[in-house]
Amino acid sequence: MKKTGNSFKVPEGYFDNFTSKLLDNLPEDAAITPRNEGFKVPDSYFENFNKKLEGKLETKEPKVIALKSYKKYYYAAASIAAAITIAIGLNLNKTPELSFDDLADVDIENYFDSNESSLSSYDIAEIIPVDELEIYDVIDNHLSDENVMDYLENNIDDFDELNIESNE
Amino acid sequence: MIEEALLVKQLQTEATQKRAFELLVNTYKEKLYWHIRRIVLDHDDTDDVLQNTFIKVFKNINSFKGESKLYSWMYRIATNEAISFLNSKSKKLNIGNSEIQEKMIANLESDVYFEGDYIQLALQKAIATLPEKQKLVFNMKYYQEMKYEEISDILETSVGALKASYHLATKKIEAFLKED
Repeated sequence: MKKTGNSFKVPEGYFDNFTSKLLDNLPEDAAITPRNEGFKVPDSYFENFNKKLEGKLETKEPKVIALKSYKKYYYAAASIAAAITIAIGLNLNKTPELSFDDLADVDIENYFDSNESSLSSYDIAEIIPVDELEIYDVIDNHLSDENVMDYLENNIDDFDELNIESNE
Repeated sequence: MIEEALLVKQLQTEATQKRAFELLVNTYKEKLYWHIRRIVLDHDDTDDVLQNTFIKVFKNINSFKGESKLYSWMYRIATNEAISFLNSKSKKLNIGNSEIQEKMIANLESDVYFEGDYIQLALQKAIATLPEKQKLVFNMKYYQEMKYEEISDILETSVGALKASYHLATKKIEAFLKED
């Protein structure tokens, strides 16, 4: 004989159904009052109910304003406005890059006039390309070619030695 | 009695929906009325809740999947509508649920549509003191004489729990009436 566990058997599902069976077998409380609780209904209430309900079903159209779609547009507009604002802000913050073209020639001249340049004539000659220079870049007075020729003819002994080639 | 599966199909088909719904209302309006009335007590309130119940049923009929009986589903809607009604009533009056019950019982005494004698009134008072679940189970078992399996389907509670609830409810009512 086994020492642990008993040798008695129980029908299958016995314990599972025990509570249920017990509650079912509890003495049924005698009806304290008749099953009629005393509630009354107006005459013809149930006969008229259907029509009343039909009326309500037909008129019950909830007027719901679709706010959702407006929200979409609102958010779209708001984000575009924000983007534009940021773009403008970024542009304003940009410091314009300066170049020499932005400076007027007068300002450059004034600078050299007012400031003592540490550059000698030789330094300047090195920097400025001679090829691009024209005589009138350094001389203000515009002399006509005729006047120049007349001067040379009258003041130079050997005019022919100048080898002036006529461009004509 | 029309077979349930067929009725559901007719309810969910546009061509047959109206007539099927009329049949549904005719079949269940009284049963649902009394179920609601036992919760809200007043006839006019019951009328409102009953209409709202059917309107909800109509609006949601297409989403009914047949996982439970049509009747159980409607009953569940009616129960929830009635309880919601009481909750919103107590919110409006800014008083608790037990106070609402007291108010309702007080109104019952002078209610034109209540012709119960003093014992029946006492019983209603006793039932009003029960917690919500016990009250529902008691009404459904004692007055509507529904089977536990049906109640289980509607309240989505196990049969065992329902039996225990019912037993507790009857004990409480008995004690209340004895005190009186």
